[in-house]
Amino acid sequence: MTATAASISHLLRRYWAVALVVAGWQIWVSAAGLSSIVLPGPLAVAADFASDPLSYAQPAALTFVVALAGLLFGFALGAGLAILSWSSRILNGLLTPLGLIFTSIPVVTLIPIIARLLGYDLRTVVAIVSLICFFPAFVYVGAGLRALPPGSDDLFRVFGGSKLQKFTRLVLPSAVPNLMLAFRLTAPEAVLAAVVAEFLMGTDGLGYMFRKAAGEFDTERALATSLIATITSVACFGLALAAERRVLRRWT
Amino acid sequence: MISARSQSFVLGLIGISLFLVAWEVIGTYHLAGLTWPPLSTVLAFLTTPAKLPLFGRAAAASFTSVAIGYLCGAFGGLALALVSHLVAPVRPGLDRLVAVIHAIPSIALAPLLIVLASADATPPVISGLGVGYIFYVAATSGLATASASHRDLFAVLGASRLSVTLRLDLPSAFPAIASAMKLSVPIAFIGAIIGEWFGASRGLGLLIVSAMQNFQIPLLWSAVLITAIASLTLFALFSLAERLVQERMR
Repeated sequence: MTATAASISHLLRRYWAVALVVAGWQIWVSAAGLSSIVLPGPLAVAADFASDPLSYAQPAALTFVVALAGLLFGFALGAGLAILSWSSRILNGLLTPLGLIFTSIPVVTLIPIIARLLGYDLRTVVAIVSLICFFPAFVYVGAGLRALPPGSDDLFRVFGGSKLQKFTRLVLPSAVPNLMLAFRLTAPEAVLAAVVAEFLMGTDGLGYMFRKAAGEFDTERALATSLIATITSVACFGLALAAERRVLRRWT
Repeated sequence: MISARSQSFVLGLIGISLFLVAWEVIGTYHLAGLTWPPLSTVLAFLTTPAKLPLFGRAAAASFTSVAIGYLCGAFGGLALALVSHLVAPVRPGLDRLVAVIHAIPSIALAPLLIVLASADATPPVISGLGVGYIFYVAATSGLATASASHRDLFAVLGASRLSVTLRLDLPSAFPAIASAMKLSVPIAFIGAIIGEWFGASRGLGLLIVSAMQNFQIPLLWSAVLITAIASLTLFALFSLAERLVQERMR
């Protein structure tokens, strides 16, 4: 009994503001008598989702897989290029300012350009997500490769470690926490980028489902779709957080 | 002997030049198809006098949204962070609310905002929400960075809660807030552009999406280039400001 009470008060402490907004939304919709085409209340949205939850599963799974593929691909490229530029001072000098420039411009505006370059299909969505994930990976891993524990560099020199040994035993491990941090920060963005790309190009997935529902003035379905997109993005963050904790526990 | 600093500066310049040359060459020889124009074509299109009013109007509309969104987001985020700093019990709830709003895809927020406000108010609101998130997160962690010994000194001298916040916590949050100022620049632009993708009546975002749908390739690249350069310039300015603050606060 006290355990339930404790967990309820715990929930309340964390979610009172969210609950307040949702309740305010429902009261406003009911009081103003808004038509459900203009703005349905949260109850109507939940009812629409509950009436046919399976129809959301396929687009949500597709968006999740596409976002994950783009995330992994972008991270492999970004980390790979960061390692390359660590190994060569010239390459590092050439690439670092470009990396900085691309992190300081709104990368999302490049989506229409890539859509036009590659054509409107699923691979383009993966490419767009990869591009958005590439720069954080490049920047964070690059910073991690350079932030070595003090004195460790000298230790390797004293014991006559080769450059490759130093890389695999010292530099790469010390970049892992940064890599996982970038992974956690970028994972939810990957889902959101996939949804925007699907919306703009009309390829399958949650973004397209949203666009179709909004186009048919099926506002309940549109809002339920965005709810699912939000949940997918939060779930991605949770998975990435779990992965980060797991890796860090093994690593440190 | 050249110093390491000027060496990396020269290498950086070479890197950027190589990028621009690659852009030109790929465009000239159609290595990436017809939808990749050479840089010179984009620049020529951008500087055509007949196009100036078009770009001017669009840029003025978008930059106004960015400015409004940035300022409201910055002050809103800071105010909320101060509230959650001063009234500790509300902190977990506000943290969750901010995180949930941030996790909602902006394309899902846009139609809601069009109902609640109007199509033209949507770009600054989305931009403000993104900026507000960064400021809230940076300021709440920055406000907690004052050292324990400083806190003890304030307590011993009998400072009120408000005076500790204004004279100790807020100044120690300045470096974090300066970083937030810099990092939220691209976010402000992204918010405004995405907001305009949903039926704003003018703006660079509208120009980008209509150029994409109508195969107006130079127009598409020009509008993206304007946005990128504006964001880059502001980012560079705020990086300078951030460095000044960090040096002053060290």
